[in-house]
Amino acid sequence: MSEGSKPLIQNTKCECGHQNPPGTVLCEACGKPLTKEAEAQQILEMRYDGVARRSQKANPGFIDKVWNFFSSVKVAIYLILLTLIGSSLGTILPQESTFLNIDPSVYYKEEYGQLGHIYYLLGLSHTYTSWWFVLLLVMIGASLVICSLDRVLPLYKALSRQRIPKHMSFLTRQRVVYQGTVEQDGAEWVERVKPLIKKKGYRVRTDGGTLLAEKQRFSRWGPYVLHIGLIIFLLAVLGRNLPGLHMDEHMAFPEGEPVHIKNTSYYLMNDGFKVEFYTEEDMPNEFKGKGKVLPKKFETEAILYVCESNCNTPGQEPQLKEVTRHNIEVNHPLNYKGLKAYQFDYDLTPILRTVSPMLIDSKTGEQYGKIDLSIKDPVREYKAGDYTLTLTQTFTDFGLGDDGKPVNLSPNPNAPAFLFLIKGPNLPADGIQYFYFPKQVDKERFQQDAINAQLAGGENLVTLDVLSMDDVDFAESTTYLNIRVDKAMPFIWVGAFIGMIGLVMGFYFHHRRIWLRVDDGTLTLGAHTNKNWFGLRREVAAILNQMNIEVDEKSLENNRGSQA
Amino acid sequence: MGKSKKSIQIVILLAIVLIGVYAVATVVFGSDEVPKVGEKAANFELLGMDGNVHTMSEYEGKARVINFWGTYCPPCVREMPALQAQWEKWKDQGVEIVGINVGENKMTVENFVAQTGVKFPILMDPDRDAVASYGVGPMPTTFFVTASGKIHHIRIGELDLDTLDKQIEQLVKAK
Amino acid sequence: MNLIDFSGDAFVVSFLLYCASFIMYAIAVMGRRFRKREPEAHLAKWGKIAFVTASIGLIGHLLYFFTRWAGSGHVPVSNMYEFMSFLSMAIMIAFLVLYFIYKKSLLGLFALPLVILIMAYAAVFPQEVQPLIPSLQSYWLGIHVTLAALGDAFFAVGFIAGLMHLLRTVNFTATDKGARREQRWLELCMFAIVVLLGFILSVYSFRTAGYEAVFNQTQIDPKTETSKIVKVEYNMPPIVAPYQSETESMQSFLGMKSPLFEAPSWMHGVNAGRKLNTVIWSLVSGIILYGLLRLFIRRPIAKFIQPALNKLNPDDLDEISYRAIAIGFPVFTLGGLIFAMIWAEIAWGRFWGWDPKEVWALITWLFYSVYLHLRLSRGWQGKYSSWLSVIGFIVVMFTLVGVNLIIAGLHSYAGTD
Repeated sequence: MSEGSKPLIQNTKCECGHQNPPGTVLCEACGKPLTKEAEAQQILEMRYDGVARRSQKANPGFIDKVWNFFSSVKVAIYLILLTLIGSSLGTILPQESTFLNIDPSVYYKEEYGQLGHIYYLLGLSHTYTSWWFVLLLVMIGASLVICSLDRVLPLYKALSRQRIPKHMSFLTRQRVVYQGTVEQDGAEWVERVKPLIKKKGYRVRTDGGTLLAEKQRFSRWGPYVLHIGLIIFLLAVLGRNLPGLHMDEHMAFPEGEPVHIKNTSYYLMNDGFKVEFYTEEDMPNEFKGKGKVLPKKFETEAILYVCESNCNTPGQEPQLKEVTRHNIEVNHPLNYKGLKAYQFDYDLTPILRTVSPMLIDSKTGEQYGKIDLSIKDPVREYKAGDYTLTLTQTFTDFGLGDDGKPVNLSPNPNAPAFLFLIKGPNLPADGIQYFYFPKQVDKERFQQDAINAQLAGGENLVTLDVLSMDDVDFAESTTYLNIRVDKAMPFIWVGAFIGMIGLVMGFYFHHRRIWLRVDDGTLTLGAHTNKNWFGLRREVAAILNQMNIEVDEKSLENNRGSQA
Repeated sequence: MGKSKKSIQIVILLAIVLIGVYAVATVVFGSDEVPKVGEKAANFELLGMDGNVHTMSEYEGKARVINFWGTYCPPCVREMPALQAQWEKWKDQGVEIVGINVGENKMTVENFVAQTGVKFPILMDPDRDAVASYGVGPMPTTFFVTASGKIHHIRIGELDLDTLDKQIEQLVKAK
Repeated sequence: MNLIDFSGDAFVVSFLLYCASFIMYAIAVMGRRFRKREPEAHLAKWGKIAFVTASIGLIGHLLYFFTRWAGSGHVPVSNMYEFMSFLSMAIMIAFLVLYFIYKKSLLGLFALPLVILIMAYAAVFPQEVQPLIPSLQSYWLGIHVTLAALGDAFFAVGFIAGLMHLLRTVNFTATDKGARREQRWLELCMFAIVVLLGFILSVYSFRTAGYEAVFNQTQIDPKTETSKIVKVEYNMPPIVAPYQSETESMQSFLGMKSPLFEAPSWMHGVNAGRKLNTVIWSLVSGIILYGLLRLFIRRPIAKFIQPALNKLNPDDLDEISYRAIAIGFPVFTLGGLIFAMIWAEIAWGRFWGWDPKEVWALITWLFYSVYLHLRLSRGWQGKYSSWLSVIGFIVVMFTLVGVNLIIAGLHSYAGTD
């Protein structure tokens, strides 16, 4: 440490001759308490082994003050508590993000009254995307980095160059202490006890009549490993927002049509959708006879294509190549190179694609010929035998306007309708107008025959009609998939995994140390751990008993500081 | 060593501040790419009624009025004559009016155009790509884009002849 | 179906064994005062018998779990009954783990009543096997829910040891402000447990009596301003009727022929009125029960229990509490957060969605991380950390039960209302 060369306000030189950095509580070398506060402690505070935190300085400047703020565990605890309270506030009412298409400035008032409106005004209806909540998370991140940096380096130094002989006041102020007499010479006794301690899994070092035994030191790094994991996790969460790393779209896939996935070169086709429901027998008695339906399975047979050419050229058919197939179910998404498709919703309303109606003579029933009519993208002219049909108007969702004229209600093919001009033999020279509704329901609803009779001047001369189901091509159902790309996910899992390793290190292993020294036939033993004192006392008692020193586990507890 | 420690501290604190500003900014200003007034209008590549592919960049240097419409939307249908009239008035003064039909097929649009006598360029967005990049919600929505490509004004709802005329005047002035 | 029936029987047997074990624990600590025998030997002997009985009970409980698993085809943690049964079993397991580390069988004196209460609470809910909806059909259901519950179970043991530490150390002779406050809060904890008991007892008594009342509630949709009539069934005499409702049928109870009052307007949800009614009944029966207890023992419950614990070292209890939480924390992190995120990613396509249950799992985690950081500070061991373990358990129970009853969201179980 370079501080040694600087003039210091505080004299931190220990009586053992070691020069300690300012802020040191226990001498880095011999463990003697240096501060008045530590001197007054009946049982020593062993946090970070009493070393100075990296940031502790005699004259803090502005940077140091900011640094010290984030370096404090107390501040960290306050930050966690604020986050805790903040997140609980966000659960009082549902968040805006749980609704599709609402205007929160009206919704909360309507649904939850004045209090709901106040909730909205306070910004609590989007708690988790509010500036203060994100700021709290960032500050927790800062605290994680700075707290860890400030402690881990000095602790590492302290633990890697521990001296074996410790000051008497260091030993007798541990929580586990034993003092008694031994017959033998110190060095000899220590040599005799050494293998016994080793057997318990300790690494033992001796120095004359003094001994230091230690095990599972790595568990001290557990909290810092956890913090590193959390930092990676938080950065990954933040990184998801970077453009291009994240996509989240809900898309409709009618059966049998490849649909382009925006901003990618992929097309996905729904090759069949199935939904199964539990039968009445599968249901528990309380549901029986109540008409409850419980879905058992949703499944989309998906085929994923990649576009090879003509991809973004409007008006041209893209060239597709199949790359993978997968049956998408809830809990079994499709995953191809990070592009994921999740089962989200479905619609069992069939959608017409093409119909091939026959042009029939209404009187004789003579069949003149079939036309192929595409619902989505019809062409202008059709031929049926000697007849020509010209499409003059198209509707995707036929309806009648306020003035009684036909209008289009939406671009969705709910009620397609086509107005033809038909010319040919036995028809008036300038042709007849003919309305065609491909869906049977619409035919009846809008009285196709009556309209056409009127248009033709009283009677139906010809009829367009589908003769068999083979002449109808339709998508049986539509599946809704949630298409996602999340390139930051691996980092999230890596962060979580590292954090988990840190937790296991820190919580399921316990750093234990035993110091002992023999001075003129007096044995002084002190032991320390950060968790599981019970286990440590048992080990120490067992070791002493093997050395023919009868001691009770409980009596090893240092009573000097006990409240009982 | 003391010096390098200080600079490490500064680097770490700076990194935290930068990341923090970025994090807060993304939630406050939103990461959705819906264009707002003052921002650059998004590009598009759409098939026109004339059979050619048109892009936004094609009209660079001209003030543009981009109107999103559909035959199923009565206010859109009602404002068509106003748009047509303004197109005739302004087309020689460096203003282009473009209608983007949303989600319909060529036949429907063709019939509609023929019926209503619309002459200004109509492009088709059957897959709603332009709708997504312009963040169009209810229709009609009209974007007034300056000659330099910045969005000058966004109008949601029906336009009448006078407001349209005033808006275009302002747009031309705005450059 | 045979397996399911057998599993139901095993559940009852283990419940009875736990009850027996609790009585033996009570004999172990109470008996040493009136017997002439050596108190230490008496305590050790009966403590051991109680512990063995509880362990056999756990075998029955495990039998319930695995036979129900085999019979239903899925890990039985998919509804409130199954989850609460599993939670009580997990608490028994956590208790056993701590017992093997510290050999303090007296922990069972408090662990068992908690287990018994949770099991009884489980049995309040419908017990039939329900088929799984698609989003629950995943092996992650078993992994995530069981591990999260196990983590919570260790927190529960931490709570038990913390509560015992408080009961052991609270000074009932002191009259200063701090001591008074502590006595009152501790007694409030005892009271809360009695209220829970009151809830369970009232549910069972009215169920046995077959009580029923039906209301027609008018529900108004604020958006469309249309109203519809919803039928609400009560299984307890309606002190509170649902908001804007009419009585369709009602059995009279102790001369009460109509509801005493109607729920306030902000409680307009379908089940809000019934839930409020249940809360009132629990409080009423809890208060009566508490009053009777006080009449019988003639002193605060906490004060009554304290002498039973005087053989225990408070520092040991404190360490057990800390250790239980330290063991539970990584388990909870893995099961309640990480595995939850993995499953959410697979099922819903997002690893985190700020769903109320997710938020409360995070709050639980944040709370215990505060606890663990505070443990490092001087002066936070013992009394304060015991109080924290009590608060922590309240947070846990709110996450598990309160969120479903009050907030709900994606995680709502069938049969919670």
